[in-house]
Amino acid sequence: MANAEPPPVVIAEGIGQLTRYFLREVGSVFWFIVNTFEETFERIQHGRVPFRAASFFRYTERAGVDSVPLVGLVSFFLGLTMALLTGYQLQRFGTERLIPGLVAIAFTRELGPLLTGIMLAARIGAAFTAELGTMQVSEEVEAIEAMGIGPLRFLVAPRMLALVLLMPCLSTVSNIAAIFASSLVCKAYFSIAFPYFLDLVKDSLLIRDIITGILKSFLFGLLIAAIACYRGLTVKGGAAGVGTSTTSSVVTAITAVIGFDTLYNVVYTTFYPT
Amino acid sequence: MVELRDVHMRFEEKKVLDGVSLKVEPQERLVIMGQSGSGKSTILRMILGTLRPDSGSIFFKQFEITRLSRRKLQRVRQHIGMVYQYSALLSSRNVRDNVALPLEELTDKSQSEIDKTVDEKLELVGMEDSKDLLPEELSGGMRKRVALARALVLEPELLLLDEPSAGLDPVIASVIDELIISLSEKSKVTSITATHEMGSAFRIATRMAMLYQGKIIEEAEPEKFKHSKNPVVAQFVSGSTEGPILEGSLDAITKK
Repeated sequence: MANAEPPPVVIAEGIGQLTRYFLREVGSVFWFIVNTFEETFERIQHGRVPFRAASFFRYTERAGVDSVPLVGLVSFFLGLTMALLTGYQLQRFGTERLIPGLVAIAFTRELGPLLTGIMLAARIGAAFTAELGTMQVSEEVEAIEAMGIGPLRFLVAPRMLALVLLMPCLSTVSNIAAIFASSLVCKAYFSIAFPYFLDLVKDSLLIRDIITGILKSFLFGLLIAAIACYRGLTVKGGAAGVGTSTTSSVVTAITAVIGFDTLYNVVYTTFYPT
Repeated sequence: MVELRDVHMRFEEKKVLDGVSLKVEPQERLVIMGQSGSGKSTILRMILGTLRPDSGSIFFKQFEITRLSRRKLQRVRQHIGMVYQYSALLSSRNVRDNVALPLEELTDKSQSEIDKTVDEKLELVGMEDSKDLLPEELSGGMRKRVALARALVLEPELLLLDEPSAGLDPVIASVIDELIISLSEKSKVTSITATHEMGSAFRIATRMAMLYQGKIIEEAEPEKFKHSKNPVVAQFVSGSTEGPILEGSLDAITKK
């Protein structure tokens, strides 16, 4: 009896509750983004800057400049591995000259934004959640609200804008690092000289691939910032709550980035099948 | 100035406020007393509009706080200063930046005007020499004083103070109390203080209210409050262990 399977009703109930929780969370994050935009634009309408430039640049430095080594290094190694592994397979058919195009397309269109999104969700998303969560439990957020300052435009908007604008830049760093790594492999193992490598990249890469990657990056940035800030501002339960929310923020943001990437690809290939 | 009409509030299963009605006149210094967790801070948060009651209305001047839109509420809050129990200073900003924040964000004052106002307020609370320190470098009393300076920087008409002297040594507690009194007398600021520190409460108050089991069971001037016949108030004032508070008896209220 101990191994008896749960009745179908219990399973259906569980799925129902999960779906309800998922949809509620999606709705909350959506309205969180809408309210942040609303608060920020209201301020602009009154002819005032929504947040201080210094605070925006502080976040761009943390999220962007400080992330360059990590994003660059990880992408470099992945580009290296990808070129090496695919190169040996293609070499058997004498088509190793496809490596440059393969790495370039894979990274600009897919892996660059995706990897950068995952790395930023872990590195910056966690930091944003922990920071705002700590402010929330120490009543700092409420104090800001009590002064009549909109916490969304004051705390969330500069972080959101920094991540949205920095994501495409970091994706570009990721693409360049990976393509550069694959050019080293092509030169060392498959005798493809650098100028020829560049020609092959240019021949295979379409503007559409680059635009797709950049568009994705903007959206991933928005998604990561929104989830991280939302989780931070809804922390409950003191220090333990901050820990729980930070973990949850990273997991949710990474899952959301991968899920959204899939959705984006499905929609994109429906309208542009080639 | 402030009016609460039949306010009810429940946190999950716990009924915190059960039909609270309260009126605060301009320039009055009302002290709300009650046990820890009795709902004193909840009342202050409701007046600020950071917490909405389940039912009832709250008025600040002509504004019904419970019905205001977010935008209007933000504007109304600029006329109210709040000092939190644990000060709630922004940990990443130094003392000067904490006090300057409302001015930078909500006014069109120039940098020199802001500096002047910040200096004035810090001088008022005796913190002019600690401008460059971070909140973590301050003692509890110093933080409270900075929080008070920040609450006063927009020249509010209403000052809400949540346990202003809790955790402070008696001398610093008296300094804070004197400050609240002088503000009310010189700047005509109305204040509502939530506390269970007896000495501080009797020093500050021009009127006192006792919150017990979600209801205001006594409202009186300090002298009358001190000699209240209500057994709950009498026990609370005397700090005795004998009486209805520990029994949690409702009879005490009905006997009033």
